[in-house]
Amino acid sequence: MIAEVKPTATATLTLDGVEVSFTEGETIYEVAERAGREVPTLCYDARLEAFGGCRLCVVEVDGMRAPVASCTTPATAGMVVKTTTDAIEKHRRTLLELVASENRENEVDELRGHASQELKSLLDRYEVRGGRFAGRQSGTSNSTDDNPFILRDYDLCISCYRCVRVCAEQEGDHAITMMNRGFEKQITTEFNGILKDSACTFCGQCVQTCPTGALGDRKAMRAESLPGEVEKTRTVCPYCGVGCSVDLLTKEDRLVGVQPAMDGPANEGALCIKGQFAFDFVQHEDRLKMPLVRDEDGELHETDWETALDRAADGFKKAAGEHGRHAVYGVASGRAPHEAAYTMQKFIRAGFGTHQIDNCSRA
Amino acid sequence: MATNQELIEQWWKEEAPLLPLLHAFHDRDGFISEEAIRAVADGLKIPVAEVFGTVTFYHHFARKAPGQAAPRVCTGPACKYLGAPELLKSLEGATPMACAGRCDDGVPVLQGHEVRVGRTADSLEKTPSPLPPPNPGNVEECVFAHIREPERNTMEGYRGYEALEKARGMSRANLLALITDSHLAGRGGAGFPTGKKWEMVEQAEGEPKSIVCNADEGEPGCFKDRAILDYDPHAVIEGMAIAAHATGATKGFIYLRYEYPETFQIVERAMAEAEELLGDGFKLYLRRGGGAYICGEEGSLLNSLEGKHPFPRNRPPFPVTHGYNDLPTVVNNVETLASVAPIVMKGAEWYRGLGLGEHAGTKLVSVSGDIQRPGNFEAPFGLPLLTLLNEWCGGAPEGRSIQAVTMAGVSGGFLAGDDLDVTLDEPSIRAKGAFLGAAGIMVFDDTRDMVEVAHCAMEFFAEESCGKCFPCRIGTQRLTERLNGAAGPADETKWREEVHDIGRTMMATSACGLGVAAPNITESLVKYFPEQVAASLKNGR
Ligand SMILES: Cc1cc2nc3c(=O)[nH]c(=O)nc-3n(C[C@H](O)[C@H](O)[C@H](O)COP(=O)(O)O)c2cc1C
Ligand code: SF4
Ligand code: SF4
Ligand code: SF4
Ligand code: FES
Repeated sequence: MIAEVKPTATATLTLDGVEVSFTEGETIYEVAERAGREVPTLCYDARLEAFGGCRLCVVEVDGMRAPVASCTTPATAGMVVKTTTDAIEKHRRTLLELVASENRENEVDELRGHASQELKSLLDRYEVRGGRFAGRQSGTSNSTDDNPFILRDYDLCISCYRCVRVCAEQEGDHAITMMNRGFEKQITTEFNGILKDSACTFCGQCVQTCPTGALGDRKAMRAESLPGEVEKTRTVCPYCGVGCSVDLLTKEDRLVGVQPAMDGPANEGALCIKGQFAFDFVQHEDRLKMPLVRDEDGELHETDWETALDRAADGFKKAAGEHGRHAVYGVASGRAPHEAAYTMQKFIRAGFGTHQIDNCSRA
Repeated sequence: MATNQELIEQWWKEEAPLLPLLHAFHDRDGFISEEAIRAVADGLKIPVAEVFGTVTFYHHFARKAPGQAAPRVCTGPACKYLGAPELLKSLEGATPMACAGRCDDGVPVLQGHEVRVGRTADSLEKTPSPLPPPNPGNVEECVFAHIREPERNTMEGYRGYEALEKARGMSRANLLALITDSHLAGRGGAGFPTGKKWEMVEQAEGEPKSIVCNADEGEPGCFKDRAILDYDPHAVIEGMAIAAHATGATKGFIYLRYEYPETFQIVERAMAEAEELLGDGFKLYLRRGGGAYICGEEGSLLNSLEGKHPFPRNRPPFPVTHGYNDLPTVVNNVETLASVAPIVMKGAEWYRGLGLGEHAGTKLVSVSGDIQRPGNFEAPFGLPLLTLLNEWCGGAPEGRSIQAVTMAGVSGGFLAGDDLDVTLDEPSIRAKGAFLGAAGIMVFDDTRDMVEVAHCAMEFFAEESCGKCFPCRIGTQRLTERLNGAAGPADETKWREEVHDIGRTMMATSACGLGVAAPNITESLVKYFPEQVAASLKNGR
């Protein structure tokens, strides 16, 4: 039987004087974004349940006593919405001045994380230069957590709770939490400890959603002082069959970090510890750069490709000749490029005629 | 002593189990240990980090010894001038707490499950909370009409649930119409029409529905709900049962603030007495908060009940459709619910007629601070404020005069000078930029430093801000710093500009009423007391 398809109800509202249509269930923010409005946000991450904390997304709605947060307010038919009145823009500027005032600094290297420039770009857009609303700073950086992956520089935290929410809603780990109330609010783990003692799997999602760089990608940050611009190359993580999309970060010809692709169809911004942090092998000094063959003395010696390939071919032929085609079993490395993995299975299947081919990727 | 496992067994299957389970550990050990948090997380299947975060949200859950055994002294705006700072210093191991709802005979000191009251360490005494004095205006009352009768807080003294019986004989539609017709509106601050709220719950889809009695009463200077629950708890329970009948709700919760431990026992006893009359169709639960003003905000309260981090919820949806466990829920204030039974017995017209002029009904007002006769009073809506202050309460202490009063506890900000000439109703008070709200009125005489009073109020908001939204989390902190001189411009014009900019953005963009209301303090301070502000800036406060 064919399941009954509910017709999607559509309606219209007025957005900055223009009639736009929307689907029931959409929020004002979603409608505005689709219509090309650049409504500023800091606590918003499209993958997470709307939270309504930063209040930058406020808009005016006719008939409402006060502006409403567009990210949490459902669009309703006939609504008259104004996204950028003078009053609204003034509130946004004041909010940004307030947020800027609670941090040690507001400029961080882009290597800290995918979203790390969000606050800074908004401060630039609203020409907030700091200085107003001086006062005590919020958040205390955790200097004892010396894990090699995640910097916890909470002096820069603006309590948007994206990290807490991504860890709970996306990763399902509930490793991080919010301690205390109000201005004393502090992002931390259970019993205010270190990540290693928590439920954290070091997936790095908190790092990549943090809009200020309060959470930093320690591996990428090693390259902060290297010369050159950061370039991004879209590819797929080689480690397992999920196929997460990633952006490889390079500076000149060095691989310096990995960031998840927020629009990756398989991962939507998620990665695991391997895809996120395990890339050092690429430029590791122990890596083989020349073919090696073992001579009669039992030691490995550098040689040319011709010699090495001949030696390998002889060995394979011998084994297959004596014991049949199923005597050969291939295991490709998850650290090799996809093209190599493909060639490897072709080599085993077409070359030897066996299906005994595997890959070490088990993330 | 109960084992961890026994405590878990006792609670895990219960309704809204997190708070009572945390209290069980807190009571057993005097504080909530790491082991307890792990046991609770495991027992209720909540992530450890989340239980930890939630525990740290509440003031009164101690995490180490002496914990609960150490005294906590109210340093609220009224008690502050009754010797609280000195008392705090003289009691060993004492820590301050926000207004604990005993402003009419401060200073309350909370220790374990006991409140003692006094101005000095050796005069502390455990005494029942003050009973409302006979109505000084000799006007007809609704909520307080019987509260002074002896043994009124027992079923025998209350003489059964006559109104409930009558209500149960009525159709839902008629009952809803009666409440709507009485013009009863929320007495917890927001003034939403009660009949309409009930009707929305009655019409909403989803079951089981709940009635939640908001007895969190955390607003400084408000202590009326305490008086009702201490002396007339059956009126509230009966009101809840009538609401249940009107809406089809089958569950009820009373969410009582942590700072009223004696009240907890009184209500618990009354609930046991009422069980039979309520019957199987309406099951009532009593829950004790952990100390957090924001848990009086209904969304935050519901999250707290459900064992979640007590942030306010985004609205819409509202509790009438998405309340307790996301199901239709009535959240009503204690006073609102206590008004219901008399309305059922005497009718909508009678109730409306209690107000003056075109105003319907009555409002309980808590008066405290620099006033001859502080206490709880039931006033008709429309009563002139000066009649209440001077005639009912005897005016300022001998030789002094009233400089300012607060409205809605501290949320409404100050009224002073000619603006004291208002009547007790929202239109009149809102016209002056304040609001009546839950009607806590704190009086400050001409000797008080109003900048200091404002600082005390703003510090309260900063400490109670939940931290969910930027304008309030940062704004209350920055305003506090500007009131005590910890930060901010020394130049008066710049100071005013910053304070006003912060305040305006808080009012317009905060996610809940706390952040919206807090700047009323600074706005009204600047409006009525510009010279005091200027002087304090000059003195480098
Ligand atoms: C910060 C804040 C604190 C509140 N505290 C209380 C409270 O202690 N008691 C209460 O009844 N309502 C309180 N309210 C109002 C509740 O959100 C809600 O409107 C009320 O309980 C509804 O009941 P009513 O309609 O009977 O007034 C508070 C609201 C805010 C914003
Ligand atoms: S790295 Fe992943 S699992 Fe660890 S805290 Fe961050 S989001 Fe949670
Ligand atoms: S650490 Fe970053 S993501 Fe987490 S709350 Fe702070 S600013 Fe937001
Ligand atoms: S206004 Fe204050 S109390 Fe209310 S949600 Fe925002 S931070 Fe929390
Ligand atoms: S994006 Fe709406 S409040 Fe932050």
